[in-house]
Amino acid sequence: MEKTQNNSSQVLMRFIILCFCMFIAGGISYLFFQNQSLRLDESQSLWQSSHSSKMIISLIGQDVHVPLYPLLLHVWLLIFGTDIPVARTLSLIFFILSIPVFYTLGKKIYTKDTSLFATVLFSISPFMNWYANEIRMYSLFVFVALVHMYFLIDILKNDSRRSWIGFTVSSLVGVYTHYFFFLLLLVDFIFYLANRKNFGFNAFKNFLRVALITLVAFSPWITYVFYLGKVSNASPNLLSPTSVDLFNMFSEFFIGFQNDFINTVFLSLWPIIILFGFLTLRRNMVIQPGTIYLIMVFSIPTTIAFFESIYIRPIFLSRYLIFTMPAMYLLMGWVLSRYPRFLMYTLSCLAVLTFVFGFTVEGLSDMTPTKENYREVATYLEANALPSDIIVVSAPFTVYPFLYYYHGFNKVTTLPVWDQNKVGPIPSFKEDQLPGDINSITKDHTNMWLILSYDQGYSEKIRIYLDTHYQRLVLKNFSPGLVLYEYKFSY
Amino acid sequence: MINQDEKIKREFISPEIGNGILILNTVLTFMYFYVITFAFPVGNKILFGILIFGEVFHVYQALVYMYTIKKMNYEFPRNMTYGPSVDVFVTVAGEPLDIVSNTVKAAQKMDYTNFKVYVLNDGFVAKKNNWHEIESMAYDLGVGVITRKNPGWAKAGNINNALMQTKGEFIVIFDADHVPHDDFLKKLVPYLVDPKVGFVQSPQFYKNYAKNYITLSSWAQQELFFGPLCKGRNGFNAVPMCGTNMIIRRSALSSVGGMNTSITEDFVTSMYMHQKGWKSIYIPEVLAEGLAPEDFLSYYKQQFRWARGSLDVVFSNNVFFQKGLTWRQKLQYFSAVSFYFSGIIVIIDALIPLAFLFFGIVPIITSTMQLAAIFIPYIFVTLYILEKTSNFSFSFRALAFSMSGFMIHVAALFSSITGQKVEFSITPKKQQSGNFVYLVIPHIFYIVLALVGIIFAFMREGLSASFITNTIWVFLNVSVFIPFIYASIPSAMKQESIKKILANEYS
Repeated sequence: MEKTQNNSSQVLMRFIILCFCMFIAGGISYLFFQNQSLRLDESQSLWQSSHSSKMIISLIGQDVHVPLYPLLLHVWLLIFGTDIPVARTLSLIFFILSIPVFYTLGKKIYTKDTSLFATVLFSISPFMNWYANEIRMYSLFVFVALVHMYFLIDILKNDSRRSWIGFTVSSLVGVYTHYFFFLLLLVDFIFYLANRKNFGFNAFKNFLRVALITLVAFSPWITYVFYLGKVSNASPNLLSPTSVDLFNMFSEFFIGFQNDFINTVFLSLWPIIILFGFLTLRRNMVIQPGTIYLIMVFSIPTTIAFFESIYIRPIFLSRYLIFTMPAMYLLMGWVLSRYPRFLMYTLSCLAVLTFVFGFTVEGLSDMTPTKENYREVATYLEANALPSDIIVVSAPFTVYPFLYYYHGFNKVTTLPVWDQNKVGPIPSFKEDQLPGDINSITKDHTNMWLILSYDQGYSEKIRIYLDTHYQRLVLKNFSPGLVLYEYKFSY
Repeated sequence: MINQDEKIKREFISPEIGNGILILNTVLTFMYFYVITFAFPVGNKILFGILIFGEVFHVYQALVYMYTIKKMNYEFPRNMTYGPSVDVFVTVAGEPLDIVSNTVKAAQKMDYTNFKVYVLNDGFVAKKNNWHEIESMAYDLGVGVITRKNPGWAKAGNINNALMQTKGEFIVIFDADHVPHDDFLKKLVPYLVDPKVGFVQSPQFYKNYAKNYITLSSWAQQELFFGPLCKGRNGFNAVPMCGTNMIIRRSALSSVGGMNTSITEDFVTSMYMHQKGWKSIYIPEVLAEGLAPEDFLSYYKQQFRWARGSLDVVFSNNVFFQKGLTWRQKLQYFSAVSFYFSGIIVIIDALIPLAFLFFGIVPIITSTMQLAAIFIPYIFVTLYILEKTSNFSFSFRALAFSMSGFMIHVAALFSSITGQKVEFSITPKKQQSGNFVYLVIPHIFYIVLALVGIIFAFMREGLSASFITNTIWVFLNVSVFIPFIYASIPSAMKQESIKKILANEYS
């Protein structure tokens, strides 16, 4: 009787914590992040989703992504309106839905307590909360990946018809959510090969069937992308990553987007991982297949993306690998659960405090490197630009978030000069064309306001040219990497 | 709940590890070595040289381990009806009467027809007070007793003396505290049907492993050796004798002139037998149960004796110059003895971050993340292989005791090089009381030095990346030393010290 009471109070406690996690995700996260200025990627999502379904598919086909999220966003905006908080709420909903799925997945692999602890980390994760409030597909990606991982583990443990159906459906949804979902499918396959004996008799056939269905279902999209002839666009314009980028990703998964000092301090602690590894060496603590799967989910896509970026084409971005992050949190929970009780509690508290610290600083600090305060730039220019001034935005594509907020009367152009109404790619920067471009911009204007952000390797050249040819009047930083200059052309 | 002892014994079942992960770790090992050696600009040349020396040793250890455990489960021909005559030697040199009596009684009860038990009573020559009582006890129990009157060569001399007075086709050796199971002979004798098999070795199990922190940690260290290492060595015909719980063919032992008379008589004797072409077999099943040292001083002495004996083999019986051994056997023997060089490597690894903290010098100038990117996968895959091959019995305590024993290893190395005379001493079978903190003064000194170094470096560098990273390395070393330091204090000798460990890891 007493045991039953204990059990029900434990169940109640877990339920309360889970609800609290969802509240954190929904409420606190909303307060911290929803009021931020629109960022470049978000403006792109809004712009794409503002078109018709047919046009969205066409635009996405020329982009580096797949169409599910923009189509969902399109419908969402049609129903609820086009305000930024409304658009961001769609991502937030997927994040909130991910929390019980995350807990259920964790419970399937580990104990309820381990899973609950990992769920707390997940729900206060600065990285996750950032993307839960961004008008992009990443929280949907995490949600689908979690569902998919759940069904894979369910197949391993129960091999039921329900789990195969769930696995198939999540595969289909996943590949239309993000190209990187294929990496998760690859992990599934490698995991199956390495653990064949733990799967059911017909697993191989069923996996083949799912693979076939997924490929058939995805082939229209691939055919369409080829048809558009834009397949070369299907890789983002990135630099090759270094080991610093790799570890920055881990750092972001822990403490979110932080300034250089905090990031350096955190990454310099790396040998502590070795000690944590040593401390996990305990008798009788067998590594179960579920843990192996999580290790694979965490390590294989990261390794592939990293080396492909170095040797084939750059595709390494921490947000593309966001689906590996839940595995990392579950593994953290598992590692801590292996420690002696005192150490476990101490380190668990430390982990939670670290996440809370990251969450708070990321949300409140103006120096958070991923913040893009185009809203304030626009407000500032509306108040300070004179009618004879011209506004120049570089890199050209950052004109989207700026124009979302800017409602002034000044002419807005880009460097390199780009006509947004023309079909085709953004013109590349040519240094020898810079004087000509500047001359054409200076015509009929006395002052130029230059907004530099998203350096594509030529921001500094533009700045130096202008600094050496014109008088600079204003220099103002609005957020890391977003700088406004004012130059005087003529009196 | 599974009986704790049964659980431990069962864990000698080592699952085979896939070639894929071994290849991966080999690649990672070489990559790590390449990167650390060639990829970064050299900082302080002396430190760099020391670092590379240490890394060569690490790489060698990792590669040899993987080579050894690439296959662990072997089958050997046996004949269950084979029943030759066996002489069972219980070697005694002053051990408590009750302990010897238990062993002798258990030996008498062994389920086999053609055997005779002898107490090899060395108490007289070892000047132990109870030699006469031992003799009486043997008479009372109706077993043979051979009391040596001419001293010399310690345990080896005792066995060799008995060899001359007995005739059995095979000889079983038990230390006084190693109580055999009934089926000891039934399990091991059948393998000797192959006339080329010189000896069959079974594990040394500490039945008192759950007595206190020291016994538990001693056993933790043993498990890796009697698990994957000995099992893997079956594949190279390079299983060493372990001094007890073994059955030896008399003709094989005679062919090498009896037991070798060095302080590691068992190890050298097996090497000589392999040289002569005899085969060895290791059966990974607990068939006798002995006693671990129960206090830190006894542990320390035991480890020193093993280290000194092994290092003597390097300097006086260099395995690479032994004719008759295959290169694989030489490699295995060398890897067994070279473990005791690891004390120097631990000191190197511990001093490198201190060099930065005090003098700001580093062996290599590196982006911290580049080093981490290669080191982390390497170390974690290595740890996984250790865990998997030991059937998840390798623990932090085992690691901590192996690493923290650096002063024992260095002291043994010094005494071996300088040729200091070391008497063969038997590990005490009863707990000795006292505070043995004086044995861990070097570890405590390191902690003090680390604290001073951290303050010193912080004042010089502030919160720089190098300061943080080196501080963490120092912290890691300290964390590894702490279980060893704890073992030296009196409370580690109480059973309460391990209650939680037993509940968490052995239940």
